[in-house]
Amino acid sequence: MSKTLQIAMLLAVLLYFILLIRMLKKKTLNLKYTLLWLFSGVLMLLLATFPGFLDWFSKLVGIYEPTNALFAIIFFCVIIILMSLTAIVSKLNEKNKRLIQSVALLEKRVRELEERT
Amino acid sequence: MRSLVMIPAYNEECNILNTIADIRRHAPEMDYIVINDCSTDHTEEILKENGIPYLNHPVNLGIGGGVQSGYRYAKDNGYDIAIQFDGDGQHEAQYLHTLIAPIETDAADFAIGSRFLENEGFQSSFLRRFGINFLSGMIHLLCGIRVNDVTSGMRAVNRSLIEAFAQDYAQDYPEPEAILAAGLKGARILEIPVQMRERQGGTSSINALRSVYYMIKVTLALFFSAMSAPRDRRKLHE
Repeated sequence: MSKTLQIAMLLAVLLYFILLIRMLKKKTLNLKYTLLWLFSGVLMLLLATFPGFLDWFSKLVGIYEPTNALFAIIFFCVIIILMSLTAIVSKLNEKNKRLIQSVALLEKRVRELEERT
Repeated sequence: MRSLVMIPAYNEECNILNTIADIRRHAPEMDYIVINDCSTDHTEEILKENGIPYLNHPVNLGIGGGVQSGYRYAKDNGYDIAIQFDGDGQHEAQYLHTLIAPIETDAADFAIGSRFLENEGFQSSFLRRFGINFLSGMIHLLCGIRVNDVTSGMRAVNRSLIEAFAQDYAQDYPEPEAILAAGLKGARILEIPVQMRERQGGTSSINALRSVYYMIKVTLALFFSAMSAPRDRRKLHE
């Protein structure tokens, strides 16, 4: 990995963390759902600081160009984050359904109470 | 035994009154409840004006969510038998008593009104029959129970399945999945020959374009529920 790329990456990771932490401070993001973003950021930071790891990793899995290994790792992080988002949406969907049903059940009872009085 | 007829309805202003009249005529002793799944037409006004008991979803949940609301209502109100009955005029209330008979005598936990046992009445298209047979074969393979009319929406369950379905019920295209879920729990499933009509008005929820998606989704759903099932197998009768 070239020194230029290393510096660019460090700057990008810095910007990434500034944005992330600002959003966390403003509570735009819920920490619970941001942990994966934070971990990915830390991983990027480590990769930018110790480029030797990328060389070792790309040799290990047979990628010719260490920068391609970098892309692969970033892509992997993004996929994991997307999967966790789908899991979160699925869970929310189930909770939402239960809630809607409960509202419907309660609404009927309220309606009948109101009719009686 | 107290029975509840659950009628999921989405934009059924043309059919709902006929359906209710049919039930009142043939099964006056049964309670019924309409689940209005956030209809955009006058279904709710019609229900209100005619004093028909109904649940009202604040947002649309789809057929499975609606039916599950019915099961939750049946569970909360201590019903012994819950019957699913379409609000679109396809189902005939004259079969309600034959449908629940095996449940009343405890010969079955789950009774399904089937068009294909005596092949009378409305039979559905060739392609649809092919899809139904395919799903039927899959359910047979996965839980060893043979049900012919796996997509039939006319079905009755006893108290233990009311409780199971109130807890867990597939949200879209739930009919085959519910059969497999019950089968994997060790439920005794029985098919009862009934006749159905072609729908009387409104539009079906399954059109030609969606049926490919339907088959893929249901096939996968059946596989995954069979994979996650061994843990709660045979729980029903322990």
